[in-house]
Amino acid sequence: MILSVLSSLALVSGLMVVRAKNPVHSVLFPIPVFRNTSGLLLLLGLDFFAMIFPVVHIGAIAVSFLFVVMMFHIQIAEIHEEVLRYLPVSGIIGLIFWWEMFFILDNENIPLLPTQRNTTSLRYMVYAGKVRSWTNLETLGNLLYTYYSVWFLVPSLILLVAMIGAIVLTMHRTTKVKRQDVFRRNAIDSRRTIMRGMTDLLKESSLILVRIQFVRWPSWSYRCLDTLLFFSHFRMTVPFHFWYNFKPGPAIRCISRTPGIRRLLLEYHGIEYPDLPEAPEKAISAFRTVKGNSYVPHRSESPPPHNTY
Amino acid sequence: MFLLYEYDIFWAFLIISSLIPILVFFISGFLAPSSKGPEKLSSYESGIEPIGDAWLQFRIRYYMFALVFVVFDVETVFLYPWAMSFDVLGVSVFVEALIFVLILIVGLVYAWRKRALEWS
Repeated sequence: MILSVLSSLALVSGLMVVRAKNPVHSVLFPIPVFRNTSGLLLLLGLDFFAMIFPVVHIGAIAVSFLFVVMMFHIQIAEIHEEVLRYLPVSGIIGLIFWWEMFFILDNENIPLLPTQRNTTSLRYMVYAGKVRSWTNLETLGNLLYTYYSVWFLVPSLILLVAMIGAIVLTMHRTTKVKRQDVFRRNAIDSRRTIMRGMTDLLKESSLILVRIQFVRWPSWSYRCLDTLLFFSHFRMTVPFHFWYNFKPGPAIRCISRTPGIRRLLLEYHGIEYPDLPEAPEKAISAFRTVKGNSYVPHRSESPPPHNTY
Repeated sequence: MFLLYEYDIFWAFLIISSLIPILVFFISGFLAPSSKGPEKLSSYESGIEPIGDAWLQFRIRYYMFALVFVVFDVETVFLYPWAMSFDVLGVSVFVEALIFVLILIVGLVYAWRKRALEWS
């Protein structure tokens, strides 16, 4: 009884797919078709496929059909004219389908048919299969990935091609996020986009971090931190250091304990910090050779005393 | 209940969860007052007369998400039987599934870099 209910509903819904006036209805009618087919698969004992059918067919295929219908703004009134125009070709295809049905049906299924395709009348029961056997999922797993492994890998290629093809066909520039094209920007205005060295870094850095420390850590840890911060352009530091805020001028806090960098940073921002250790010559001379540099280090002051921290 | 006895709880859940929304709709349709009229059946456009067509322009990014969803949904479906049986099947099956996933990761990277996954 369930078989006849499910199959008849599937057939009627399938018919309504082609006969519905509204194209959206015509896309929604496959959903009962898929659900009833899923029920039919359950009757066959294929529980995995019965569960996967709604997921794949309704969730993916019917949704894709719905998108197609949504894309074309179809006026309902104009498609229902001249239905008979399609009769010759559709009639031929329908007849071919009807002819193919006779390869499957025979007198056993529908007693009124004149055909008798299957002439063996001996049917025997395979009792070994009636014992608790593998589930549908396990069977599929045991076969698909071992004997039919090529058939398993080919769908991945098909899916890849489908995805790339659809993206190639449908992506166009209007879906692009507004972003700058970096190469174009560099080609046009490279002075402002490419950093040339520490001068640019200094010009851009509005914050230099200073700390007063009461505990001296090993030197290598400071250098690591310097490097890390330098390359990461961070303006904040780890919280176990104290801050000291200089006013007037921009808020300057210098994390770097490397004498050269600190001195340069502070001098660049015009802060007189008398107890800086002596800046190494190398760092300052590296500055002077950069083209377009407007930085001139202070050379007039006396060497500052060595600080005790 | 009728067949596939391992799925008993599933059928019970399915039937109850199908019945409850139907019940809710019927009760609400039964108990709520309704007054029909031509005004109620017309479409609403913030109080003014509806101007123009009700169909908006189709935005392609909805389709991109549905497309990527389809592909990866089918990939997941292929991986369900594998998940159930790869422990008895050996290393070669694992490597095969890895190749399968890697091919589809190539597709994902392509979709990502081509900005098919952006919502803008």
